[in-house]
Amino acid sequence: MATVKLTNVKKIYGKDTVAVQDFNLDIADKEFIVFVGPSGCGKSTTLRMIAGLEDISEGTVEIDGVVVNDLQPRDRDIAMVFQNYALYPHLTVFENMAFSLRLRHAPQEVVYQKVTEAAEILDITEYLTRKPRALSGGQRQRVAIGRAMVRDSKVFLMDEPLSNLDAKLRNQMRAEIILLRQKIDTTFIYVTHDQTEAMTLGDRIVIMKDGFIQQVGTPTEVFDMPLNLFVAEFIGAPKMNTFATELAHEDGKYYVKPYGAKIEVTGKKAAMLADKQVASGEIILGVRPEHFKLTNANDPAAIACKITVNEMMGSELHLHAQTENGDKLIVRIPTVSLDDEVRHSMVYSQTIYVTFEGKVMHFFDKETEQNLLV
Amino acid sequence: MKQIRTKKPHTSLLGAKASRRLGNAIIYLLLTVITVVWLFPFFGIVLESFRVESGAQVGYLWPKQFGADNYIRLLRETDFLRWFINTGIMGVATAILQTVFVLSMSYTLSRLRFKGRRGLMNFMLILGMFPGFLTLILIYKVFVDLGLTANMAPLGLIIVYCASSGMGYYVAKGFFDTIPKSLDEAARVDGATRLQVFYKVIMPLSKPIVIYTVLMGFMAPWGDFMLANYLIHENSRGMSVAVGMFEWLSRANMNEKYTLFCAAGVIVSIPVVSVFLLLQRYYVEGVTGGAVKG
Repeated sequence: MATVKLTNVKKIYGKDTVAVQDFNLDIADKEFIVFVGPSGCGKSTTLRMIAGLEDISEGTVEIDGVVVNDLQPRDRDIAMVFQNYALYPHLTVFENMAFSLRLRHAPQEVVYQKVTEAAEILDITEYLTRKPRALSGGQRQRVAIGRAMVRDSKVFLMDEPLSNLDAKLRNQMRAEIILLRQKIDTTFIYVTHDQTEAMTLGDRIVIMKDGFIQQVGTPTEVFDMPLNLFVAEFIGAPKMNTFATELAHEDGKYYVKPYGAKIEVTGKKAAMLADKQVASGEIILGVRPEHFKLTNANDPAAIACKITVNEMMGSELHLHAQTENGDKLIVRIPTVSLDDEVRHSMVYSQTIYVTFEGKVMHFFDKETEQNLLV
Repeated sequence: MKQIRTKKPHTSLLGAKASRRLGNAIIYLLLTVITVVWLFPFFGIVLESFRVESGAQVGYLWPKQFGADNYIRLLRETDFLRWFINTGIMGVATAILQTVFVLSMSYTLSRLRFKGRRGLMNFMLILGMFPGFLTLILIYKVFVDLGLTANMAPLGLIIVYCASSGMGYYVAKGFFDTIPKSLDEAARVDGATRLQVFYKVIMPLSKPIVIYTVLMGFMAPWGDFMLANYLIHENSRGMSVAVGMFEWLSRANMNEKYTLFCAAGVIVSIPVVSVFLLLQRYYVEGVTGGAVKG
């Protein structure tokens, strides 16, 4: 249980390979923070700097108000779960979990009590006498989490703990981490490249790219109001559709004109555009796949496109389509609202007409790729 | 439908099974011959060591009269026991010191990143390519001045065996490199110092390499002749088995002491073999299984 504060943190490898820079973040006590981004964005490096496994080139890291830059990992009172589990193969599950307590010369009863307690929470009691090699991947990851749990440390660090598990197990463990979090009420920093994990686990998400923070915010904030094009495309699956188009300001109303359609901007977004006094011009428009809906050719707001791939997901269809000028779109259509006839007509090269409402659009500057409404 | 054949059918006179058997038979025959050739000298020495009728080299292998006379003579008439103890002490000391040096060197080179690490490794690799006896004269000069020859030769030899042993880091470093770094990191986060990481996590996982290093160190003094011969003066109290026994093969002694040499050879093999047998049960592979996602 502690606050973590990173100030102007920078990491340089060798002479001039910059992995992380200008990293400023205040993490509140008992907050669940997720670092997310594509590989090589510096998220793991940042976590390892907090853990003390990497030197901090510039800036400071504070845990509970104490600058820990020059402290060894063992003096920082942190626990960490590694992507590849990193269990001690020569020790039993019990001894793996007891390792840190034994180093601290904790009394035997305390060791026993803490380990069995953690094992019970993680449902691995029956494996306590086994060696790691006799466990499955999911069980090993539980042991790794258990080993971190018994520490009662100030900060709980997790470095892509689920990425070595298969898809089904990953979903299950993700749910368990949410439960776990309620049981061990401490500060979590979780690194992942999977935006679903980030969205479902985090109180706040830190989205990173090329060593820079792109946006920090709650899942809702980053989803509803992405600061830039990168965040917009990274968060949400399938990714947001973006296309260069024209924003027109006519008679006090805003319109976008993608692919010959003319759609009025409505609701809060229209008010915000007016408020910011955004002028007409070329912009990048972003619309999430789930915000599209089917329409017909007569609709002035219709965009015509041809289906290239139809992915049947069960509850919805993911239609990959191509507009007349070759731009690609992904459209999510819930199957429950579709007539069987329409559904079966959604085949390769079939022309469909789609549109979207005026209140769901995102507007980005064509040059800077920043959100025009922020 | 047209059939596609990627492989020619088996057309030899023998069936597939029979031809495999024939192949195996040839391989086993060859291996047996190699084994016999390889083991023959050992059996020869053991047999000759029990020969009573003549102390010289003879034209036949099987002794006409068996007996432990050579072994008894060895203990009663020669200083062999002292040589043996000298060499044993050197073996134990070298094994311990060399293991400490080699393993800490290897672990350092495997895990820590410091300036000049690459250069140091290459330098030691190249240095190791020069034969050790190039330094013989220099070592002799220095050790004479330090008084580490003759009676004190065993101490001098231990220093020589251990001093540069860290340069033989390749095998152990190669092994440490295969142990995932995240184990070190997990242990450090768990509260271990670098030293604790080394002996609580890395050492238990490195039993094969520890044993290999111990055996190498223990065996060195038993087989070293050249260096030992320079530092140990004739008939001094610091004699080692290799230097002492060599004297028995000289032209003057050959006819009398050849079987004595064989008996001594058999005895010398005992500590080396027993240390190996003692340690080999730790020589299990695959101890790292299950550490990380595999």
